[in-house]
Formats: sequence, C-alpha cells, structure tokens
Amino acid sequence: MREKATTLYIGPQHPGITGNMMVRVKVEGDTIVKATTEVGYLHRAFEKLIEQRNWLQSFTLLCRFCVPEPDPVEESYARAVEELEGREVPERAKYIRVMVLELARIASYMLWYGGQAGSLGLYTVGQWSVGDRNYILDLFEELTGGRVYHMYIWPGGVRRDMPEGFEEKVLKTMDYLEKRLDDYDDLMFENSIFKKRTKGIGIIDKAKAIEWGVVGPPLRGCGIKHDVRIDDPYEVYDKLDFVVPTHEGGDIWSRAQVRRQEIRQSIRIVRQVIDKIPGGDFYNKIPNPQKWALPKGDAYARTEAVRGEVGMYVSSDGGTHPRRAHFRGAAYVHAITLLEDLLVGENLADISAIMNSLGTCPPEIER
Amino acid sequence: MKEILYYTWGAIVSFVVAFSVGITYMGLNRKITARVQNRYGPPWYQNFIDVIKLYSKKTSIHHGVMHHMGPAFIMVTAVVSLLVIPILNGNKFFPNLNFQGDLIFLLYIMVFGPLGMALGAGQTGNPNSAIGVTRGLSQMAGFEIPWVMALVALMIQYKTTSIVDLMNVQVESGRWLMFSSPFAFLAAVMAMLGMFRYAPFDIVGAPQELASGPMSENGGKYLFVMMSAGSVFTFAKLTLYVDIFMGGADNLIILVVKTFTLYLIPMLYGITSPRYRTEQSVRWFWGWPSFFGLLAILQAALF
Repeated sequence: MREKATTLYIGPQHPGITGNMMVRVKVEGDTIVKATTEVGYLHRAFEKLIEQRNWLQSFTLLCRFCVPEPDPVEESYARAVEELEGREVPERAKYIRVMVLELARIASYMLWYGGQAGSLGLYTVGQWSVGDRNYILDLFEELTGGRVYHMYIWPGGVRRDMPEGFEEKVLKTMDYLEKRLDDYDDLMFENSIFKKRTKGIGIIDKAKAIEWGVVGPPLRGCGIKHDVRIDDPYEVYDKLDFVVPTHEGGDIWSRAQVRRQEIRQSIRIVRQVIDKIPGGDFYNKIPNPQKWALPKGDAYARTEAVRGEVGMYVSSDGGTHPRRAHFRGAAYVHAITLLEDLLVGENLADISAIMNSLGTCPPEIER
Repeated sequence: MKEILYYTWGAIVSFVVAFSVGITYMGLNRKITARVQNRYGPPWYQNFIDVIKLYSKKTSIHHGVMHHMGPAFIMVTAVVSLLVIPILNGNKFFPNLNFQGDLIFLLYIMVFGPLGMALGAGQTGNPNSAIGVTRGLSQMAGFEIPWVMALVALMIQYKTTSIVDLMNVQVESGRWLMFSSPFAFLAAVMAMLGMFRYAPFDIVGAPQELASGPMSENGGKYLFVMMSAGSVFTFAKLTLYVDIFMGGADNLIILVVKTFTLYLIPMLYGITSPRYRTEQSVRWFWGWPSFFGLLAILQAALF
C-alpha cells in the first residue's frame, strides 16, 4: 500500500537551513519524493544597485553577497575593474590579497565545520570551530578594521598595509589552528556515526556535475580536479606551492574530506605568503572616485571561493559608473538545480546535512 | 489518619526532591556541555529560572483535549514511576508502593507517557509533531528490547519481580548486581541512552530535521509541565538503575553521587556524538545491547 505523502516546509526560518531560503519537500514516510527550492526572501537587487554607484562605491555591497566569505567577491570585482582599466597592482598587494583570501577561506571552512557537524547534531565541533574562527576575525579586524565585512581588497591593491608585527600574529594563529584541526578530526571525521551519516548520502553523479556546472568541493568530491587557483592562476597563486585535494565518491563524506584537506592547504599557502611577501607599495592609487571613468569595454574575473568558482562580469560605457555588473555564484547551481535533484530519494533527516555539504549561500543566489 | 498524613507529606517531599535533583542535573548538563564546547554556559540553576518563566507565560493555543492531556500523561507517568521506585534503602518516609510485580508494572507505566504524548502531538495536526512521535515510538521499540531483556534476566536469576527484593539481594550479598549480572547491566545502560534521548538518540526533536518535533505546537505552560515531568522522570529512572544495579542508597547524598555518576554516561556520550537516523538508532539497540541482553538471560538461566 502506498503511503500518504506529507508536505513539509523546511525554511525560510529553520535550524536546518543555511540562510533565508526554503525547501518544500514531499515525503512518504521518511523518504523524500519531491523537493522544490524557494528563494526570494533576501533579494536586494545588488547588481542593479551597483549600476547606480561609481566604480568604488560598490564595495559596501559586494561583501554582502556572501556573509561567511565576502573577500572573493571583492577580489573578483577589483580584478575585473583593474583589467578593464589596465591598472597595475603592486606585487606586495597581490601577496596580501592572497593571504586575505586564504584567511577568509579558513574562516569560512570553520563555519562550515559548525554547519556540517551541527546538521548532524554534533554541536561540540560547531562551537569549537566558530570560537576558533574568532582568532581569524581578530586578524581581519586588525588588518582591515572590520571583522566580517572588510572592504579591503579594492582596485589598485589593498586599502591599507599590514600593521607592524602582523605576520607573527598570523603565523601564531596558523600554528594554533593546525593543532585544533586534529581535535576536529578526532571528534568528527574519526567518529563512526558521522561516517554512517555521510557515506553514500547525497551522491552527485560525476557526469551531471560537469553538465550542471557544479564547482568547488562538490565537484572535487566527485574526483574532478578543478580549481581556478590552479587552472587559471590569479594574483600570485602560480608562485605558491599547494595541491588541490580531490576525493572519489561524490557523497557528503567526500565533500567533507575535500574541505578537511583544503584547510590544511590554505594554512600552507598563508605560511608561504608570509615567507615570500616583498616590500614596497601596497596600493596603486586611483584618481578621485567621483571622476574616475573607465574605458569602454567589459571584463570578467573569476576567483576560487569556498563554495567554488565565483566570477564577476563588469561592463563599462566609458563612464564613472558600471553599465552592467553580473555575478556568477556557485550557490545558484548548488542550492537550486543540484539540491532539488539530490534530495529525491533521500531521508528527511539528511536534508540539512546535504544542504550544508553543498555550500549554499542564499544571498549569493538573489543578487 | 496520622499515618496517611505522614505518607502524603513524604510523597510531596519526594516529588520536590526528584524535581529539584532532576532539574539541577539538567542544568549541570547544560553547564558541563558548555565547558566542553569552550563556552561559559548558563548557571547551573538556569533551568529553575526557565521553568518559572514558562509557568508564568500565558497559553493561547489549544488543539483539543488530547493535546491538552499529552503533557499531563507525561507528568502522571513520572509521578507514578517515582512513587513505585524505592528512593532510599529501608526508608519509611519516602513513599514506596513496592509490590511483587512492580518491575513489570514499571515496564508498562514508563511507556505510558510517550504514548500519551503521541496522542497529544497527533491532534495538533503539525507534521513535525507527527513525524517526531513516529520516530520516538520507533526508537522505543529499539531500546525496550534490551531493557526488557535485562530486567527479565534479573527476574529469572533472582526469582523475583520486586525492586525491593533485588535491593535486598545486594545488601545481603554485599555485591552490586552490576558486578554479579554484568551483561544485564550493560544491556540496561545501553538502553538508558535511548531513554534519555540525548545524542546520538535525540531523533525525536532533532531541530535541524523537525524543528522541535512533538513539542512544535507546545509553548508556555505545556512546556512547563513537560520540563517538570522530564526532571522528575530523570531522577526516577536514575534511581531505578541505582536500586537494581548499584545496591540502592542509604541516604540522599549517596543517591545523588550514584545517580549523577550514571547520568554522566548519556550526557558525555551525547556531547561527543552526532545524531543517528531513526533506522540506524533502532538497529543499534537491536545490535550489541540486545546481544548483551541475550547473554544476560542465558547467564541467568544456565548459571
């Protein structure tokens, strides 16, 4: 006898959802037979607002595309603008940018630890990682003046130089975090229940992943090595030694393994940056922003964020404001196309875990 | 008449003791969990404040008689269990409605509350409540097996269905049943993890999955009754374990030490564990815990 289907509304305000969006699921027993994502709760018309501002003013909006990791959006926009104008960026600024991007990556992964472990009821790891993330936010505060929103990477370089003794603090924080990762491993990755809850769940088909444009850890969790930092190096990534971890399987466990190893690679990159960073200017000053007109044309810059490849397209008609700005975020594919497909056939208990494993960020969808 | 008053007064005092100790344990749970998680955490008496706050809230949502009775069923279960379970060895003040067969009676009465809650949650019409209740009953079918096996093993081994008789066996032999019937103890302790519904068995009200499950439509005074009943039931369950496996207690201090030591098991396991899915939880209880229960019965029957 066929069970009666029940409709459940997971979100828009729900402990199992990563932000303001909703997943409407139809379940028979505990099995999901249909999933529909609903977004629109956060729409603020970022792209349209950017058109109303001059080339510099948009940075207060850009960082709000994705709260956990705002820096890649700033960086891709800044680099697109620089490409459009042909503006050179000092070498020191490039190194600082990479350091900031990697620190943001680690901080964002710390939040992911909390989300992924929390979605499975393991709150201790989440409390630890969110607490440890604060040490990185302390560094951001000292460097940029802001803990979450930085508005630090901008056209021509970075907004200010590193304060005295900052390198030592960064290295000390990296040493601390590297030790803490062992604790996370013991409690989370070595935990048999965590393995049972994540292995074989939310499997992404490799062919579909490519067809749909899946990026980042969900793609690398299918065993496909794709990372903009290696495939199309920007800033100074081509001068740094690091590997891009991949894992076969395509399930939550594989995606978690990719992220687990990527944090260690980011720590490795930060140490190299501190070791290799040259002296000199940190900023190639732009003209008065109110009168700063960019040549006619368009440019696209892409950056590897924790969610995967993100990209910024800007178009200029020769004026002081962008004619058009368009952001390509990983979350659109992951949280809508992919999630709706992945959830069908899965257990009701796994919705939150699957969603967290994809790295969804609703504000990035509604831009 | 004087005797009735004496026992009534004893029953009231035992309820107050059970409530206070139970709610303090839950408060300590929050504090210890916070310290493990690198947080300061709320004070140990926070749950007292929460209970008072919940009681003072006005309740304006009702879903019918059964919904109203759900929390009451839980409270009745907790209080009746408390009255049947001996609190101290040979003490006359605390009520003891002990009789031959009280272990079997407890097996039944301890599932009465969740069943009543199921009826109440079902009437709310909230799918989260209904799914939570289904999960709770499924899990109960899991941990009841090793729990019943452990008790049956003790009944066979010591040829009694009375808790007081089991306590007397321990007092006379000077040996706790956790040592003389280790398999029964293991099975019972593992079943206890399910009874407390802490991680990895917190599937009933899993926030990320079902909001708060059966409690979704309850607020204010309903939560007050459930929280109070939960405190009393926590104390009752722990005291039962102490009585049948750890020789009971001669005074309240020893009882608190023993019950809190037992309480640490589900608490610490919960702090370091993710949550099972429903079928994984049931399968777990039907695995090693049931195996130990079977060994306990074999030990009781053969030796």
